[in-house]
Amino acid sequence: MAQIQERGSTHVYKVRKISKEEMEQMVARCVYEHPPFCSAACPLKLDVRAFLDAAAAGNFKKALQLYEKIAPFPLVLAMGCEAPCEKACRLNELGDGVAIRAVEEAVSRFGQISKLGGVFRTKKRKTVALFGSGLFALFLAGEIEKKAYPLTVFCAEPDLESFLHSETGFLDEAAFTAELKRLKGKDIQFEFGCALTKDFLEEKRAAFDVACCSAEVFARLYPEAVCDPALMFCESLKLVTGTSAGVLDASFGAKKAALTVDRLAQNLDPNNMRGNEGAVESRLYTDLSEATKLTRVPMEGAGYTEAEAAAEAGRCIRCHCEECLKSCAYLKHYKKHPGLLSKEIYNNTQIIMGDHPLNKPMNSCSLCGQCTVVCPNGFDMARVCHEARQNMVSTDKMPLAPHEFALLDMLFSNNEAFLSRPQPGFETCKYVFFPGCQATAIAPETVKAAYLDLCTRLEGGVALMLGCCGAICDWAGRYEMQEQTNEFLDRELAKLGDPIVIAGCPSCKKELAGHEGLKLVGIWDLLLELGLPEGGHGLERPAAMHDSCGARGDAETQKAIREIAKRLGCELTDTPYSGDRSPCCGYGGLAAYANREVAAEMTEKCLERSDAPYISYCMACRDRFARQGRESRHILELVYGTDAGDPPDISEKRYNRLSLKNELLRELWLEEPREMKLDYELRYTDEARRMMDERMILTDDVIAVLDGVRADGECIQDEDGLLVARRRVGNATFWVKFSREGDGSYLVHRAWSHRMKVVKREG
Amino acid sequence: MAEKNYYTIDPQGKLQCMKCGVPLVKGKAKFMYLDNGFPVELPVCPVCGFVYVPEALALGKVASVERALEDK
Ligand code: SF4
Ligand code: SF4
Ligand code: SF4
Ligand SMILES: [Zn+2]
Repeated sequence: MAQIQERGSTHVYKVRKISKEEMEQMVARCVYEHPPFCSAACPLKLDVRAFLDAAAAGNFKKALQLYEKIAPFPLVLAMGCEAPCEKACRLNELGDGVAIRAVEEAVSRFGQISKLGGVFRTKKRKTVALFGSGLFALFLAGEIEKKAYPLTVFCAEPDLESFLHSETGFLDEAAFTAELKRLKGKDIQFEFGCALTKDFLEEKRAAFDVACCSAEVFARLYPEAVCDPALMFCESLKLVTGTSAGVLDASFGAKKAALTVDRLAQNLDPNNMRGNEGAVESRLYTDLSEATKLTRVPMEGAGYTEAEAAAEAGRCIRCHCEECLKSCAYLKHYKKHPGLLSKEIYNNTQIIMGDHPLNKPMNSCSLCGQCTVVCPNGFDMARVCHEARQNMVSTDKMPLAPHEFALLDMLFSNNEAFLSRPQPGFETCKYVFFPGCQATAIAPETVKAAYLDLCTRLEGGVALMLGCCGAICDWAGRYEMQEQTNEFLDRELAKLGDPIVIAGCPSCKKELAGHEGLKLVGIWDLLLELGLPEGGHGLERPAAMHDSCGARGDAETQKAIREIAKRLGCELTDTPYSGDRSPCCGYGGLAAYANREVAAEMTEKCLERSDAPYISYCMACRDRFARQGRESRHILELVYGTDAGDPPDISEKRYNRLSLKNELLRELWLEEPREMKLDYELRYTDEARRMMDERMILTDDVIAVLDGVRADGECIQDEDGLLVARRRVGNATFWVKFSREGDGSYLVHRAWSHRMKVVKREG
Repeated sequence: MAEKNYYTIDPQGKLQCMKCGVPLVKGKAKFMYLDNGFPVELPVCPVCGFVYVPEALALGKVASVERALEDK
């Protein structure tokens, strides 16, 4: 009975570092968090997606709040902006880009002005003076007021109307009235009718902490001085100022200038902490195939009405990338894009002490590689999860529990159930058939038929090797075990004369391809070469082909399987996500052991593509689909006219492997296998059998318990009159509730297990 | 200072040790996992020391503590 050493302690305080650069490079491949192209083109960084979303929903109040974040005077900006966002809109590639500016204008007109309690807000202590008028001065006044600095504006104009009028001639009457009202609501002091001379400015600014002026004032009073356009600051004069070549330019200038004012007021270097200002580049990927509304909503009057604006906003497809989330049930389950999830998983591997909350997520990925194919940037989540698993194993922080059953199953395949023999009559062979551990567990008849067929039709001898390729320990991240498995298989292959391996399963083929110098061929390729044997036939109904994730990137294999299906007379229906884009059935990467729920969602994802029966070429896929009640057949069942029938439970899977081995030993190699016979009769209630499958308890575990109680008599009687016994097997304690029947047999009613050890304690 | 017990089950004479022919009693026991120990009180045979872990306890409390420790 094979065993795996449980990790010793939770008190292991070491981590293996992963290069930060490598991680960052990986994470940077995911463009999920990149802004949409419209926002990227906007130097003021309007969140266009959210803005249009609110407007489309008719929530103009929220839309206006978003817009006011970038525009203290929304109508001035909306009516005058050059709108680089519109030119960047992706819909231009298919038709009309979204009329973002016109929607902004409507939102500014019809949206409810938010009351940001102007006068009653607590003000900062440092004071600011602003000299001049015009767009830049207007916007800057708005920005400084928003930052809550007490502000005094000195302008030549006689009153507020004329101040607002300066450079805003494009506003219509209604818009002007609205913005005037807005300006009046702001907590700004004005001194009108000022002669803006150099002496005036110098004298007045002395009373303030920071001084600013319009571009016109700056150019007129200090023609020699220069202003740094990144900071909107003249260092020598300690004067914040601007340029204004249009509404957007004035607005962006005012934003930068306001930040400089803020830094100066805090006695900081104006270069300090400015972040990424202005328009940026975006590499966001967007699937445009679902965009339908490609023409602009027409305008009845001079601008959009509320309804028109909402309709126009509704044309926006809210550009975002979620190619991988659309196709992968695992990512969808955790609702995280790979960039973020990878970062969290890497961080998890670096936790020295305490909880590792990402263990389960990193073990739930099926390592299937689908994301790498569907992601426009080739993000390789499988590599992230696989390396993270190895990393955790290397520091002895990986729990054994989620993978132990599968690992023990592998050891069973390569010990008790292992078989390696040359074809009878041969010492060494040209070929060896390697059907894979799942095929022998699920469809032993089919394996036998295939082997006998290969033996008769291939020259040079065909050996047989029943075992596991090592994918299980590879997926679990147990690299030392994987090395041992590889060495073991290499030794066994050498004994057979290093034959060409005929893989029966694409995942085995992929795994075995890692062995140096090993010659490999898929059984499907040989069958096409030899011609199909007699007795095979396709399905009566049209069927869907499910491509195995083991064959991702292997177009030849995908093609060969389809050719076989065609020759068998199968009619194949097209499904989305086939070929290289195929999702995993939920078995891959041991997902089904670490997270049943996610694995079930993966199976569901595969099955939702079609209502037809499924044909697959990996036995694990066949099994998982059949368990969901779908008619599901492996291509080799069709080739050999066999039917593996209902899916076996976990104990039957072991039994099938062992009995196939014994049957072949007896029939082909004329050896009498050593079979363990129970010297008592053991039966199970249906409930017990179902419970054992669900709780991953094998009949072998139950037998160990009953053997024990028969030897030492240790058991108790429960309240319900049934007997209960227990045994420690490996890293778990198994409990069996049973009764002794009149005929001396044992009837098992219930079974459960736990991993903790329990002992009696003294004192 | 008395040790804190994480869990207590009193068999109230309803369980019987078949080997020793005596009822199980509430007794001191300890769960151990990955280098961590938890004192509990469970049905124990006063003669042979058989400690009983009922199904509900194994699948409930014990399983959740196991999960928590595994991710440490
Ligand atoms: S497909 Fe997924 S991984 Fe790739 S960029 Fe888009 S969100 Fe990121
Ligand atoms: S469709 Fe919407 S999110 Fe995409 S670029 Fe155009 S406005 Fe921006
Ligand atoms: S399950 Fe497959 S598609 Fe999903 S993240 Fe893992 S490797 Fe990528
Ligand atoms: Zn006893």
